[in-house]
Amino acid sequence: MKNTIKVERAKKNWTQADLAKHIGISRQGLNSIETGKFIPSTLLALRMAKVFNTTVEILFQLDDIEE
Amino acid sequence: MEQSKTTLNQQSIIFALIHGATYLPAAWLLKHRVFGQPVSVIIAVVPIITFSIFIFKYIKAFSAMDEVKQRVQFEAVVIGFSLIAMLLMSLFLLSLCDISNPLWFGYAYLVCYCWLFYFVGWLISKRKYGV
Repeated sequence: MKNTIKVERAKKNWTQADLAKHIGISRQGLNSIETGKFIPSTLLALRMAKVFNTTVEILFQLDDIEE
Repeated sequence: MEQSKTTLNQQSIIFALIHGATYLPAAWLLKHRVFGQPVSVIIAVVPIITFSIFIFKYIKAFSAMDEVKQRVQFEAVVIGFSLIAMLLMSLFLLSLCDISNPLWFGYAYLVCYCWLFYFVGWLISKRKYGV
């Protein structure tokens, strides 16, 4: 699964720590999600989409192989 | 919120250390038969109580962790449990072949192996998720 968290974060000029604080997880945890090592729960994905004012589908997409 | 999470984590670590601090002297006292049986039983119960408190604090800290840290802890416990189950099974089967070394694999050592395997699982999981 790929994600556009880094891009969305850059648009808002937020650091990982800023975003982590907004969605209530640790910075290391967010880094793990951003690098694709951990797939977040629906709740966390929705929370993330809300703070970026976007949708989960834009934030997270299936890889070409997964599709 | 973040402060309380940190406090819960610290509390579980503190109680793990308190358990260690009660377990080792209790094991020494019981091994050397310093006291009579009634007192020895009381001494034997103390580390069990501190361990129970540690487990309670650990579960509280676990429920306050974010989902990535929960996954790391969960995998650490699963790996640790699997390895200790494998060790116990191997020791049992080897004992049936009259091969056993109580000097290295007594009950006291098995507790140490439990902790060792938990930390092995913890390191593996931490590396996996880059936390």
